[in-house]
Amino acid sequence: MNQETPKVKSSLMQNARIFYLVPLVAALIPFFANDYLQFMVNMIMVYVLVTVGFNLVIGNLGQLAFANTAFFGIGAYMTAILMNYAGFTFEIALVGAAISGGLAGLLASITALRGIRLYYLAIITLAFGELMRWVYIHAESVTRGTDGLPLPDVTVFGMSMHSETAKFYVFLVITVLVVKGTSNLLKSRVGRAILAIRDNELTTASLGISTANYIILTFVWSGSVVGVAGAMFAASTERVFPESFGLTEVIVHFAMVMVGGAGSLIGSIIGGVVLTALPEYFRQFPGMEELFFGVIIIAVLLFLPKGLVSLLAKVSPLFRERYYRE
Amino acid sequence: MSDLLKLAGVSVHFSGLKALTEVSFDAHAGEVLALIGPNGAGKTTLFNVISGYVQPTAGEIHFKGEPIQGLTPHEVSAKGVRRTFQNGGLFGDMTVLENVLTGLHVQIDSNFFGLLLGTRKADEAERAAAARARRLLALMDMDGFADQQVKSLSGGQQRMVEIVRTIATEPPLLLLDEPAVGLSPPMRARMMEVIKRLAGEEGISILLIEHAIDLVMAGSDRIVVLNSGQKIAEGKPNEIRENREVLEAYLGYA
Repeated sequence: MNQETPKVKSSLMQNARIFYLVPLVAALIPFFANDYLQFMVNMIMVYVLVTVGFNLVIGNLGQLAFANTAFFGIGAYMTAILMNYAGFTFEIALVGAAISGGLAGLLASITALRGIRLYYLAIITLAFGELMRWVYIHAESVTRGTDGLPLPDVTVFGMSMHSETAKFYVFLVITVLVVKGTSNLLKSRVGRAILAIRDNELTTASLGISTANYIILTFVWSGSVVGVAGAMFAASTERVFPESFGLTEVIVHFAMVMVGGAGSLIGSIIGGVVLTALPEYFRQFPGMEELFFGVIIIAVLLFLPKGLVSLLAKVSPLFRERYYRE
Repeated sequence: MSDLLKLAGVSVHFSGLKALTEVSFDAHAGEVLALIGPNGAGKTTLFNVISGYVQPTAGEIHFKGEPIQGLTPHEVSAKGVRRTFQNGGLFGDMTVLENVLTGLHVQIDSNFFGLLLGTRKADEAERAAAARARRLLALMDMDGFADQQVKSLSGGQQRMVEIVRTIATEPPLLLLDEPAVGLSPPMRARMMEVIKRLAGEEGISILLIEHAIDLVMAGSDRIVVLNSGQKIAEGKPNEIRENREVLEAYLGYA
């Protein structure tokens, strides 16, 4: 092609391929991280996916649905159950977690489709999360209640995943694939339809777009992504407890979305990283973890209502969301 | 020539107020039909009835031979009757290009898994749509605004974008409610030129409400004149120009 495109400078900072460097650099982490740090990096990837999934419903679709901990818990318990009772290896259990998370998303979408919106949707989906926690506690014969359900030896494609390093590489592959797939969807007619529904559902319908289908799709994809995060969480902690999926967990997920940037995929990654890593750092000072959490949420929402990603968007157009490809 | 849209004795009464009384006319395929009349003549009500936002008190509306009265706006739109709104219906959080792309949505040939995996076919369908959206914008001289947020445009520019987006859906019948109001004179001329070309080359039939009489005379194939909710004349521009009743009622000559 001999076409001149004078307006577009093709410097590295304007080429989205620069983002491929992130996982490549991350792949070097095990060479200098100890086990504790490695565990934290693994947790960061879990929460990146938690936030990516949640943000689709909260930010992109604009629905106040807080069933995220339900998706997360269902993914984690499904993984533990399939590995314990069906003898599945992690890669198969992971698929089970994605499917069950997607089905939970389908269930949550029914409420939104029936015209239950705003605070009503918020309270119903919160109740769904609490109901699931009740199930984890009381379905003792399967979940072992508050004692937690341990995972048998975690293996993937016949290889042990017990070491933090092994988990790291498996998680990295999963995280990259899920984020790339989500990015593909958002930069297409799917992403535009979801955003159009957030903006004006009636106008969207008048363009011949089936709004109901896209509301369902968003919830199902969100549930699947968070279900996968749940599977990773289970593999990481190797024992699943009901307490991990309570109401405070919803607040953490919500804070990650808002601090990173609602409706921004890059924002989800930033929110997941920042709000997993920094509170952990502040844990060495008693009481500081909670304080930090409160302060950063208030500060970001007051001064950066569009999240930390909006700071980066000022520096480079790469951090602005684009919903098309050329 | 086939009748694309057929109105037969359409009346709309709002609790005693007769907004429309037994209006009948046909719109043919591929023509620009202008709807004119003084303020309060019932032009916008007529648009609302055709597009399903208001239900007729009496009468029938047929589109491509099928009755469409009583359908919801969404159902009417699905049949191929699309309209623009006076105060716009653009997606404010998207760029101009992304807005036009939502109009192309149903024409993009891709499925969920193709998009998710980023297959070549899905990717090419997306790129082709973006290229088509830019071409449609260029038609209206709006290609320079493609990457701007819709919020940052003037009202007239936003209407241009909305028309481009509606055209992108390839509607058999397009209802335009005062598309030229608030536009600069060169933009108005451009708008009429585009409307004529849409009808001629793209085969889109257009039903147009317009106040600027010069544009209507120059740009439409036929004109229907409403006054106080009743049709008082119908014909080619030169016939309307010489119609005595129209001159009295609308153009204000005695």
